Amino acid sequence: MKTWTIAILLLVMLGACRKDPVIVQEEVDGPFLLALPLGAPSPLIPENNPLTVASVTLGKALFFDPRLSRDGTISCASCHFPDRAFSDTVALSRGVDGLTGMRNAPSLGNVVYHTAMFRDGGVDDLERQVIAPVEDPVEMDHSLQGAVDAVANDLEYQRKSQLAYGRPLDAFVITRAIASYERTLISGWSRYDRYMYGGELPALNESEVRGLALFNSELLNCTACHNGFDLSDHSYQNIGQYLTYADPGRERISLDPGDAGKFKVPSLRNVAMTGPYMHDGAMATLEEVVDHFASGGQPHPNRSPLLTNFALSAEERTDLIAFLNALTDERSLDQVP
Amino acid sequence: MEFDPRTILVPLMFLTLVGCGPDEPVEPEPPPAPSTGTLKLVMRPTWNGAPFVMNEIYNNVNDYRVKVEGIKFYLGDVRLLNGSGNTLVKDIAFFDLRYNGDTVTWTGVQPGIWSGLSAGFGVPQALNDADPIVYPPGHPLDLANGSYWTWATAYRFFQFDGRYDLDGSGTAPPTAPFSMHTGLNACYQEFNLDLGGDIVVTAGSTSTLVIDMAVDKVFYTATDTVDLATENQTHGTNLPVALELTNCAVQSFSVE
Repeated sequence: MKTWTIAILLLVMLGACRKDPVIVQEEVDGPFLLALPLGAPSPLIPENNPLTVASVTLGKALFFDPRLSRDGTISCASCHFPDRAFSDTVALSRGVDGLTGMRNAPSLGNVVYHTAMFRDGGVDDLERQVIAPVEDPVEMDHSLQGAVDAVANDLEYQRKSQLAYGRPLDAFVITRAIASYERTLISGWSRYDRYMYGGELPALNESEVRGLALFNSELLNCTACHNGFDLSDHSYQNIGQYLTYADPGRERISLDPGDAGKFKVPSLRNVAMTGPYMHDGAMATLEEVVDHFASGGQPHPNRSPLLTNFALSAEERTDLIAFLNALTDERSLDQVP
Repeated sequence: MEFDPRTILVPLMFLTLVGCGPDEPVEPEPPPAPSTGTLKLVMRPTWNGAPFVMNEIYNNVNDYRVKVEGIKFYLGDVRLLNGSGNTLVKDIAFFDLRYNGDTVTWTGVQPGIWSGLSAGFGVPQALNDADPIVYPPGHPLDLANGSYWTWATAYRFFQFDGRYDLDGSGTAPPTAPFSMHTGLNACYQEFNLDLGGDIVVTAGSTSTLVIDMAVDKVFYTATDTVDLATENQTHGTNLPVALELTNCAVQSFSVE
C-alpha cells in the first residue's frame, strides 16, 4: 500500500513539473489594401510604418477622438471635415476655447503624395505632423504625453496598438497610427477622373470640357503649378494675394526673404467643397479665386512669374468654374471601415 | 525473486527532487575596475559678475530695466580638448536655468587632462532633424521639455524670455514682453572655451566643471547690442535678430 502511495505521489510530482498546455488564439493583423483610383501613382508608404488593418483603424479612431485635446473638445476632424474632403469650413481654423488658429486647415486628400506638410512645408512627414496640432496652443493645446494619458486606458486602442505596433499605446503609436489613416485618404474618383483616366467621355458635359480646355490653356497657365495626378506640383508660390503678408509663409521655414508670402500650391481636387480658399481663407468662392488669378494679383516682389493676368468672357468663366466643380469625388475619401 | 517497485521508484523520486532544486549559488565576479570618469557640469548664471536671480529686475547695457523670466538652451557635441586632441563627452545637453542654475552629470568620460571645451550652441543638425518621439522621458530632446517647434520639426536652441521697461530709473514693474527663441539649423553655432587651467578626469571619480553664463552679456557683444526697444521678438523668422542673439549668448560663457 505504501509503495503505491509513493508511486502516485511521484506521478503527481512529475505532472506538476510539466509545462501547462497553452491554448493561444492569437489575433493577427494584416495589410490594409489601399484602393487606388485609375491614374493614381503608387504611394510611397514608409517601410517603418506600413499600412495595416489595425494601424489604420486605430488611426481613424484617434483622428476623430477629441480626448487628444486639452479640454476634450477638439479632434483632428474638428478642422478636417470628412464631408469637405477633410478641409475646414471657416477661414481660420478654431481650436480649444474657440481660439483662432493661424491658417485655414487644408484638405487632407492625397496627402500621401505630399513630400512636406502644412502650407509652408515646415514638417517633413505625416508622423511628425501629428505632433503639431496636438501641442499648438491655438489648436488642441495639449502635450503629446497628455494626449497619450487621456486615451491610454482605452481597451480597444490598447488591443489595436499591440496588434499594429506590438507595444502599448504611446506617443509613437499615436503619431504612426494617425499618419497611417491619413495616408489612406485618396482622392481620385471624380467625373474628371472618369473622363481623363477612364476614357468615359460623357462623364464631363460640354461646358466642363470647355472649362478643362481653358484650364489647360497657355493663356491661363493654371497647369504650370496645378498639374499631375494631384493637380498640384506641391511647389511654393507667391500668388500676389497681398502686397504685405501678415503670414510669412515659406519664409518662416526657409528664413529666406525670397520665400515671403509663398505657400504650398494646393491640390484642386474637391476644390468646390474646400472653401474658403487661400492660406487664410480670405476668398469665399471659386468666382473670387478665378477673378484673383485673372487680375494677376498684387505686384509683390516674390509674386510668381508663372502668374499672368488674363481676361475671360462670362461664359468662359462659367465653363472654368464648371470644370472645377467636376473635380469633386463621387465617393468618400475615407476607405477605412 | 519478487520485484519490489521501491527499488526503482525511490531513487527516481530522489533524482526528481534534486532536479527541481535551486541552482547552486555562483560566486559573483568582482566588477571590473572603471575605465572612465564622471564629469559634473554646473551652469551658473551671473549678472555683472554676481549670482543671477531669475525674475529679479536688473538694468541692462542700454540702461533698460529688464526682468528675465526664462532661459533655456541646448549645447550639442560637447567635447573636452587638450593638446593631443579631444573626446566627445555628450552629444546633446539641455539647460533650464529657472532655478538660477542647472547641473548635468555625464558618465563614461575619457580620463585625461583637459584644457578646453568645445560645443555647439543649439542642436546639431542630425539630431535636430530626427523624430522627437524616439527620445525617452528625461532625455534632453524629450518633447516634454517644451523646446520643440512642432511647426518646423526642429528644436528651439535658445529660449530667452522676460519683460522690460525702457525707463532705467522707473519704479513700475517692467511690463513690455521680450521673447526671443532661436532655432532652425541656421542658428547652430560652435564655440570653444578655455578652461583657464586643466581639469583632470580620472577613472572612477567625478570631476566638476563650472561654466558661467553672464546673462547681462546676452544683450551685447563688444561690437553689437540687442536693443529691446526694437529687437524683442524672434520665433524662427527675424533671422538677423536670432543670429545676433546667438552671437551674444555664445560669448556670454566663460570658465573662471
